[in-house]
Amino acid sequence: MGNKTVFYDKHLELGARMVEFGGWDMPVQYASIIEEHRTVRSSAGVFDVSHMGQIFVSGRQAVDFLQSVVPQDISKLKLLKAEYCQLTKNDGCLVDDLIIYRLLDEKFLVIANAANIQKDFNWLKDNINNFEVILENKSDEYSMLALQGQNASKIVEKLGISESEQPSFFTIKTFKLSNIEGYISRTGYTGEDGFEFIIKNEYAIELWDMIFKAGEQFGLKPIGLGARDTLRLETALMLYGNDLTEDTTPVEAGLKWSIPVDKISDYNGKDVIMNQIRNGVSKKLIGFEMTDRAIPRHEYDIYFNGHKTGVVTSGGYSPTLDKNIGMGYVETKDNITLDATIEIMVRNKLYKAKVVKRPFVAKRYKIS
Amino acid sequence: MIVPEGILCSKSHEYLLENGDSVYTVGLTDYAVEQLGDIVFVELPEVGTEYSKGEVFATVESVKAASEIYMPVGGKIVEVNEKIVETPEILNESPFEDGWLVKIESPDALAESGDLLEYSDYKEELE
Repeated sequence: MGNKTVFYDKHLELGARMVEFGGWDMPVQYASIIEEHRTVRSSAGVFDVSHMGQIFVSGRQAVDFLQSVVPQDISKLKLLKAEYCQLTKNDGCLVDDLIIYRLLDEKFLVIANAANIQKDFNWLKDNINNFEVILENKSDEYSMLALQGQNASKIVEKLGISESEQPSFFTIKTFKLSNIEGYISRTGYTGEDGFEFIIKNEYAIELWDMIFKAGEQFGLKPIGLGARDTLRLETALMLYGNDLTEDTTPVEAGLKWSIPVDKISDYNGKDVIMNQIRNGVSKKLIGFEMTDRAIPRHEYDIYFNGHKTGVVTSGGYSPTLDKNIGMGYVETKDNITLDATIEIMVRNKLYKAKVVKRPFVAKRYKIS
Repeated sequence: MIVPEGILCSKSHEYLLENGDSVYTVGLTDYAVEQLGDIVFVELPEVGTEYSKGEVFATVESVKAASEIYMPVGGKIVEVNEKIVETPEILNESPFEDGWLVKIESPDALAESGDLLEYSDYKEELE
């Protein structure tokens, strides 16, 4: 048995099927993955994401310290803004991918992937060197709920936070509703507009109930990890452990957009990453849709012109497109471009696929 | 859901239903399709192929994963359910009726079905 979030009994009451994920017992589905997926795309859904980690970084040199561990320019991160970041090693490959929020001038909240919380915390600790910084892993004290979908903003309004008071895209705020206080951010992992609530465990159940009451008229439903995966795959959001690993760099993963080339401070793996940005990479992430009838899955081989060129990192059925889609790494020297035909080895047979643009389904963030 | 009388179920959740003249319908139990969740892909064998008991003859994929389906007894495929290839969700909706997988000719079915369970015993085993 894995760790349990505060919502464990709630999930069981709601008839969820539980699975182990990253060391946690989490709901994979309540009724149907496809229905849950559609609920989020058409209205809104709530995800228990309490398995994710909350690491607080504070102190006089919090900025300098974070500058040394991620490729992003944390010195330019404005107060209450969020940034998509990577924790890189000296070889440029990834310890984890993260969201970093600037809570105060000298205080940051780092959101780590469930399976990597301890690894990330240890990594940060080992990289403190002489920086004057305090690291606190408060993952056990905090719960997290993601409210995602086109009706999310209306539900938050009904909850008592008016539209003008709501945080804008990739921003975080503190909130207070009756006796509940915590953070609310405009972030998520579905490609839809939406929010994440980061609250102390003691407030978690009450907030869940309040959100569902506010969402009743919008058909708000709880959503499991199964739909979380299909939603993020359609919008080509990276999953650490699949698309990102300790053997891939952010440049290979197509995350060049997130890395400033003018950052002055040094960070782990900077030479490798800058070299890859200037001179290219030997493998790169592509997106594809199957043209033959077959479902691509994690770790299936990718072929091009009769030879193996790479491996599928994520794949599956897309409920929105009613197509089978996937992402994977291919060798750059094969010069595989948009619309190229590749093949996926499924149960010892090759099936054709076409290279397509990522995301497969357009993101619908509300960027004001 | 009506469970057909006389079906026999395997531990790997396939069912076998006698049609007469050594012909049997093979499908997945209601428990199996519920556990799989939304089924989005079915791969069936070609008519005429022969399989022995326990051999993989089909693949069923849900949103989450691919599952191999095993022959509950040996036999020759005489008919496949093309409808579920086009519309895999029929498997979730009607595993015992419209959602059957294949029909097989199996002269040895009686001899090979000793380890299969009657539906009520199968359900009890799942408890």
